[in-house]
Amino acid sequence: MSSPDIAAEVRAFVVAEFLAGEDTSDLTGDYDLIDSGVIDSLGLVRLLSHITRAYRIPADDIEFAPDHFRTLDAVVAVIAAHSPAAAV
Amino acid sequence: MPSPRLAETVAVHGRHRPHSIALHFNDQAVTYGRLSDLTESLRSQLLQLDLPAGSTVYVPAHKTPQTIALLLALFHEGHIALTPSPDLGSAALGRLAQQARVSHLLTVAGDGVLAATPAPAPEDGAQGFAVPDPGRTRLLLTTSGSTGTPKIVPIEAAGFDAFSDWAVDDFALSPSETALSYAPLNFDLALLDVWTFLQLGACVVLVDQQRATDAAYLAALAARHQVTFVQGVPMLYRLLLENGAAFAAARHVIFTGDSLPAGLLTHVAPAFPNAAFHNVFGCTETNDSFIHHVDPTADGPMPIGRPIRGSQALVLDAEGRRVTSAGTGELLVSTPFQTGGYLRRDLNSAAFVHLDGRVFYRTGDIVTRTAEGLYFLEGRADWHVKVRGVRTNLQEVENVLAAHPDVAEAVVVPLPDPQAGVRLHAHVARRPDTGLTSLRLRTHAGRHLPRHAIPASVHLTDAPLPRTSTGKPDRNLIKRNRMKEIDA
Repeated sequence: MSSPDIAAEVRAFVVAEFLAGEDTSDLTGDYDLIDSGVIDSLGLVRLLSHITRAYRIPADDIEFAPDHFRTLDAVVAVIAAHSPAAAV
Repeated sequence: MPSPRLAETVAVHGRHRPHSIALHFNDQAVTYGRLSDLTESLRSQLLQLDLPAGSTVYVPAHKTPQTIALLLALFHEGHIALTPSPDLGSAALGRLAQQARVSHLLTVAGDGVLAATPAPAPEDGAQGFAVPDPGRTRLLLTTSGSTGTPKIVPIEAAGFDAFSDWAVDDFALSPSETALSYAPLNFDLALLDVWTFLQLGACVVLVDQQRATDAAYLAALAARHQVTFVQGVPMLYRLLLENGAAFAAARHVIFTGDSLPAGLLTHVAPAFPNAAFHNVFGCTETNDSFIHHVDPTADGPMPIGRPIRGSQALVLDAEGRRVTSAGTGELLVSTPFQTGGYLRRDLNSAAFVHLDGRVFYRTGDIVTRTAEGLYFLEGRADWHVKVRGVRTNLQEVENVLAAHPDVAEAVVVPLPDPQAGVRLHAHVARRPDTGLTSLRLRTHAGRHLPRHAIPASVHLTDAPLPRTSTGKPDRNLIKRNRMKEIDA
């Protein structure tokens, strides 16, 4: 999966899970999802579990730090750095 | 934490039983010897700062052995620590620091090195705020306050000593105990599951706050350290049960912070086969005031029980008259552990009242007392709800949203949530032609509110809010409509 595909998939997941029914046209890759309360600590667990399943990344490989999940760009970078699928 | 006796007692444990483990944090085991060394090193680093006697400093409440040692060092040195949540927004932090007349921001790195940043000199921000008295308090906690600026609550040193004596006696605690400490370090719950246990010379397992909602992590942590004492909000027990584990070493299980949802007890009880269960009720202002020894086979609503030893409770009806027998009304409590008052002076006359020669705190909670003297919590007299166990004022959240220049009107309603207990939904009418988006409004909310108070969902509309016949926003209709949408 290429990086733009990952970005689109992650964005779709975040919108569906945390922003359902809201206007997300201004959700940019650098929008702070943590400080704005879009993703809280329970949400973080859901997002992490989605990434490990969808991209086959062992959960232990991902450092569970909010900064890695702060923005869509950060999440995509974490996936790109760990995913066997993204490496090819 | 807030007492010289505590700091001295922990130092004695460091000399007499240096190899006993004081703290587990991730893969570190910190012995009392190591904790004392760390505390002593921080004391000498503090001395180099040349702080005036009885200074107030601001220590972000990171739940780590290093922060705990820094707080012990401050208690030794006679300084006062203001310990807000590390997650609090920067604007609110700045206001708190002004109000408490903080001289420095202190943090300690993983290697035990102290970092001190001088705070800006207090300006008008401290007007109307009492100067904390180092002779009476070493610790300033903050209420969870859902507005940008929580209230500062000085914890009395003598009150903490009385509290730890009560807890050790009532739960028959010994130095062989191991507590699972789940709540953040800035919560009053840490007075029991961190500071009382350290004073006792027992062991405390610190839950890493980054992983506090990770069910597998929590269950493994509790099992690995064979915890004997568990205190937490209902969500903790839901998470511990998720993977079907049992915790045979636990002797005491404390429910606190929120009402236990119906049906949860029947699942919790078998997972702690050797434990006594207690429902404990309290708040930052008074610390714990009620306890109920729970019969795990009982069903129906769980009472908060009876006033704990040395505490008194009053129930006032809607006219402010004392309810003397069975009845319902607002709960007032007086405990041996309570604060001497908020730092902000003008809040105190409404919150603390003198009756029968004692000072009572108006809890704002509505209770029913039975003829047998058993108390049940019915709800709040005001706009408060509990989000993940944290008291949150809906009106204050509404005020923050409404302060955005593009917002015409905002209503915030609580919705039931299987995991969080309650989550907040905002229904917001924006001003015409502003193009305000829910994401921009969340950014605004994040700047002025703690995380738990940021609405989980935001509905923006150009239409006026629905109204009741008296012209008020129809909160019940907004809530019903939203729940229908979710169910659809």
